[in-house]
Amino acid sequence: MDTGKILVIDDEDIVRMSCQRILAPEGYEVKTTKSAVEGFKLLGEECFDVVLTDLKMPDIDGIEVLRRVKEEWPDIEIIMITGYQTINTAVQAIKLGAFDYIEKPFTPDSILSAIGKAVEQRKEKKQDKGR
Amino acid sequence: MKIKPRKTPYSLTGRLLWTIGALMAVVSTIFWYFLITYQEKELIANFVKYGMSFVDNVRKTTRYGMLTFQEILIQQTVEAVGSTEGVVQIKIFNCKGKVAHSSQKKDIGIILDSKSPACLACHPPDKSHTFTPRWSIGKSEEGFRVLNIVQPIYNEPACYTSACHVHPKNRKILGLVEANLSLALLDRAINQQSLAITIYVFVFLSVISVVLCAILWKFVSTPVSILAEGMKRVAAGDLEHKVEINTRDEMGELAKCFNSMTSDLSRAKTELIEWGHTLERKVEEKTEAIKKAQEQLIQSEKLASLGRMAAGVAHEINNPLTGVVTFGHLLLKKFPEGSEERQDIEVIIEQANRCSNIIKGLLGFSRATSAEKGGENINTLLKRSLDIMSHKADFFDVKFITRLDESLPLVKAGGLQLQQVFLNMILNAVDAMDGKGTLTISTRNIMENGLAFAEIEFADTGCGISEENMTKIFEPFFTTKPVGKGTGLGLAVSYGIIKDHGGNIIVKSEVGRGASFYIRIPIG
Repeated sequence: MDTGKILVIDDEDIVRMSCQRILAPEGYEVKTTKSAVEGFKLLGEECFDVVLTDLKMPDIDGIEVLRRVKEEWPDIEIIMITGYQTINTAVQAIKLGAFDYIEKPFTPDSILSAIGKAVEQRKEKKQDKGR
Repeated sequence: MKIKPRKTPYSLTGRLLWTIGALMAVVSTIFWYFLITYQEKELIANFVKYGMSFVDNVRKTTRYGMLTFQEILIQQTVEAVGSTEGVVQIKIFNCKGKVAHSSQKKDIGIILDSKSPACLACHPPDKSHTFTPRWSIGKSEEGFRVLNIVQPIYNEPACYTSACHVHPKNRKILGLVEANLSLALLDRAINQQSLAITIYVFVFLSVISVVLCAILWKFVSTPVSILAEGMKRVAAGDLEHKVEINTRDEMGELAKCFNSMTSDLSRAKTELIEWGHTLERKVEEKTEAIKKAQEQLIQSEKLASLGRMAAGVAHEINNPLTGVVTFGHLLLKKFPEGSEERQDIEVIIEQANRCSNIIKGLLGFSRATSAEKGGENINTLLKRSLDIMSHKADFFDVKFITRLDESLPLVKAGGLQLQQVFLNMILNAVDAMDGKGTLTISTRNIMENGLAFAEIEFADTGCGISEENMTKIFEPFFTTKPVGKGTGLGLAVSYGIIKDHGGNIIVKSEVGRGASFYIRIPIG
């Protein structure tokens, strides 16, 4: 079953664990990492469909992750998660090309719905390219 | 107060008195001396004149006796005349220097030595006979002064032609008459006069001194003392003091100048004091303003730091909440619909969602930057807020009165945020009135410190806010509502939003009579 490969970047164990537990049963291949540096390393090694990244992290913040991912792997969809939502950062994130924006605490349904849409869009892009 | 002039030898009066007194004493003494001397001289001259005529009389009364050579008659005459008061002795010498007659018989027959001073006076060694009547003053054995008069008895034709022919014709002088007259009476008179003059001089000096003293006292010492005392008082700070010297002399002039100087000083002092008061008042005003500004700064700083803290707490709590919600949902799926476990888990999720809502409120309060601000019509926003609220069943007993100033210009604001603030205000007011009362909402244009503001007033008829709660109401989590009903974030969030718009919220309240919230948003 190839539903999609997801990378979760969050410095909080419980958030990574939650995403893992929500997404894995739905058939997604989920990789989690606790820092942006490790996330970039994994992105260089493997191919992901969607990146879920926290906005506020100790080393590199979510906006920076978004910017670099969009630079190097423009096809990957990015969904921001944060516990510190402000409309400004949301607007900034969407302007920079984020697919969606999820507030903490999220419900499994909201994550699944956002991921589902993102993966679908990603697949559409792949098909467009394949054509 | 009666002012006493100084009474020392160094005072002005003292010095003047001493100087004038000494000068007068010296002049009086000289005057006195010359007067006495002159008087004595005059008296003696008169006395001598009298003495001369007296001796002349003796000579003349004895003349007959001499011509007729009746010695007993001469002696009797001499004795008689000599017994007169004031006559000490009368002697008649013959040409040989022998005492021929004397009022005192014991002296008769005494021959004067030709070398004796009495003889030498007329018979100097160079033989020049220049005898004229002469007088001298000596002292008697009894101690009083004696005038000694000697007159010659000249040879006359009657003398050398008389029957007795005692004297040759060629002799010029036949003898002498000597009289010693007492000056005791004269001296007594002179002494009495001297005494009188002395007394007069002393009385004169005393009167002059007293008069001078009085004049100096009245016209110099007293005014000077009054002036000195006045200066002392003025120097001690009594600028209302006036020197009372109403004379037309220099002292009066001085006092007038002094008084005008004092009143000038007083006026200057009053001005200074007034300036001081003005300065003090200004300082107080400024201090009050600074204090107020400082309080406001502390308040907003407190709220800002509370906001930062709230944001931090929210961020930290969101992560564990994510876990609770996620795993709650995951667990939920494992139990069949309607099971007891499922219901329990639903409670967990529900409570976690409540926490999440509280955190959202906190984040709203801490939100530093807000949505893009466009031109918003405050009146429209208010009407919309009231529409939402007035349809709720809880508000059926609340009377809403609106007095909206339609000339209110558009303000640059976040519409949704302002609406949130207005909803908060309406909710709080309705809560404060316990669902029954009147809420008056008015809008108006105001000017404050030269800046234009739109003011929105929410005046309720509720329970009001106590003095102690007044400073706390904008703090997050402060609430007077029952647990579970309010989060205590509504006013904190509203305050944050209005501050973010450059405005301010002011509260005025009277316990039991209601509260008024004034929201001011800058125009332009």
